[in-house]
Amino acid sequence: MATSGATEILLRYDDDQDRQHFETLFASDFVIHAFATDQGALDYLPSAPTMPTAIVLLPNRADGYLGSSLLAQARDHHPRILKILIGDAIALNLLVKLLDDQLIDRCFEQPVNPDVIRSHVLTAALTREGQTPSPDTSQAHEGPKPAILIVDDEPTATRYLSRQLERMQNEFRVLGATSAEEAQLVLQKDSDVAVVMTDQRMPGMHGKELLDQLRQSHPTVVRILTSAWGEVDVAMDAVNEGRIFRYQKKPWNAAELLSLFRKALIQHRALVSARNRSRSMAEQQFAELRQQRRARLLEHLSERVDGFTGEPITADFLDAVATVRTLPAQPPHLRASRETALEHDLVRDFAGLVGRQLDTLQSGHVHGIHNRQAFDQALTDAMESPAGASETQTPLMALCRALATLMNASGLERSALELTQTESRLMVTSASPLHIYSHLLAPITRLSRPLLEQQSALLMLFVSTRLLAGDIDVTGGEQSLQFRLWLPARTD
Amino acid sequence: MVAGQRRLRLYVTMGQRLLRDSLLFQILLHEEVELVGESETGVDTLNRLQGATPTVLLIEENLEDNDGLTIAEHALTVNPSLSILLISDTPVSSGRMTIYLEAGIKAVVSKDQPVQELIKTLFYIRNGQVYVGNWHQEPAPAAMLAYQALSGREREVAQLMASRLPVRDIAGRLGVSCKTVHSYKDRIFVKLGFERLPELILFMQRHQHGAAE
Repeated sequence: MATSGATEILLRYDDDQDRQHFETLFASDFVIHAFATDQGALDYLPSAPTMPTAIVLLPNRADGYLGSSLLAQARDHHPRILKILIGDAIALNLLVKLLDDQLIDRCFEQPVNPDVIRSHVLTAALTREGQTPSPDTSQAHEGPKPAILIVDDEPTATRYLSRQLERMQNEFRVLGATSAEEAQLVLQKDSDVAVVMTDQRMPGMHGKELLDQLRQSHPTVVRILTSAWGEVDVAMDAVNEGRIFRYQKKPWNAAELLSLFRKALIQHRALVSARNRSRSMAEQQFAELRQQRRARLLEHLSERVDGFTGEPITADFLDAVATVRTLPAQPPHLRASRETALEHDLVRDFAGLVGRQLDTLQSGHVHGIHNRQAFDQALTDAMESPAGASETQTPLMALCRALATLMNASGLERSALELTQTESRLMVTSASPLHIYSHLLAPITRLSRPLLEQQSALLMLFVSTRLLAGDIDVTGGEQSLQFRLWLPARTD
Repeated sequence: MVAGQRRLRLYVTMGQRLLRDSLLFQILLHEEVELVGESETGVDTLNRLQGATPTVLLIEENLEDNDGLTIAEHALTVNPSLSILLISDTPVSSGRMTIYLEAGIKAVVSKDQPVQELIKTLFYIRNGQVYVGNWHQEPAPAAMLAYQALSGREREVAQLMASRLPVRDIAGRLGVSCKTVHSYKDRIFVKLGFERLPELILFMQRHQHGAAE
């Protein structure tokens, strides 16, 4: 299920029965290339037509492949391949050693849950997330000194260790927390925490749970689990689910920890620079895409829309839309724009929808016939029956329908619109801002009906206001938009 | 609940009440799950998410007011450790799946899949794990094969259970003890991969004119 064709697995096994069992479980999910020797697998790899997504190891004894030349080669030359060890009884020492040597990415005990293995492999095939960032060797890390946070409910041990570590080096600060909850507070306050080492058994939230959360909330913070208890199942889950960097057994030794933390800091810097690179690249590339999209929208809309009103409304509308700030561009947005028909469909579907709405709209400008009561009535009608039928709409109806759509999409009631009438003008203001989570010029992953309808309602607001000889003023904010529009009016 | 497991605090965003209720009836049978909030729209979800502090958000992709994926992306900026399960109308391609995963969605279940798949997925993602099922495959007729592998007596008990006969009456009719019926029942559930009686009833009735005769 990789982007092209089936997902491939390289299986290294000792026992033919294990191979058969594995093939029975996964033959319908993966193409499996099985080898009984390291050499066989190593001969296959360079000539393989497609690189396998994963190497699965099924040794007779769990520690059987510690010295495997296949694993060492895979680590050094194929960092993108996910390495999964499946053993009968995994000893904690073995797991610690495999992590230290970075020989495996996942580790499971028999009997395995096929769902979980399949999910790990398919995820790697889809996102290539098994990829570890290349270590950042640049020593240039200006800014404040990074911090190591040690979480343990035994504060005396932590304090002693902190003092020792502070004396031994000048590269990082050492912070302490006595619970997972306190650790979360420290992380909120101190943005320079680069590494978290947490004990597993603590009252309240456990260490593994904290690391699971950190993996999502602070993906560049390097995670280390430590314990005196040697629970191998927890350690294994922490590897597979928490993607911990190392498992550190207690009791601690300051010299050993110093070298561990130094390695962790290198890893942290690699993660940060990989993230920054990907962010700035995404932003840069999206800026280009946005320009192209704007040009194509103008090209497909201007003639029709501007022809209807006799004014360059399309450009005004797009400028207004661009002032709404949405979430920054990320890799999935770029992927959607490049690898799917999104860009094409967006312009086509939006232009199509706007065209259909203009088809039912009465053309020609209307002057100064609006009073508050008439507007109120039209708005009530539009709010009650938002689905515009195909009958011809007056500009006032179109305006009110557009308002209804926008209010609905923001979860706002009619009362959020303020109407004020003076001698010659009726003013309509949004008392609370409209929610605009996505728009025509924002990074998007998918074309949806609500997006198209909300955006075309916004355009129709511009068009109908002008047809009514009024004017509109729009201010974008954080995922929000405020507007004021004036219509010529008369008092009765 | 396993010590150290996060309790599954569930928030559900689905437009239609009927669909939402049907799912929740099934999901809430699991005692680790606690419903902390529900919404019909995306805007309402974002307004209430922070107060509800869910660990898992189950959200439909096609909502009335906003795109479900856009809402999910915003929910993640508010609460990055939220696990999100997206419900799509149709099966997704591998290309789309990559986009979802990169956007931080933990799993996608389509409306074409059985409810058991949704519940299984919900539990796999509870700790923030990504779960990719074999969504691209035709669902294997596993339960049907398993049913055909049941013994004659097991099938008989399954049919009686599916006609909602109490265990006591089944025991009486077959001339065995209640304990024996219970052990048949356990075996049938294990073999068919079911957890509860309604699943068995649905399976038997759905296939009553087919191979489950």
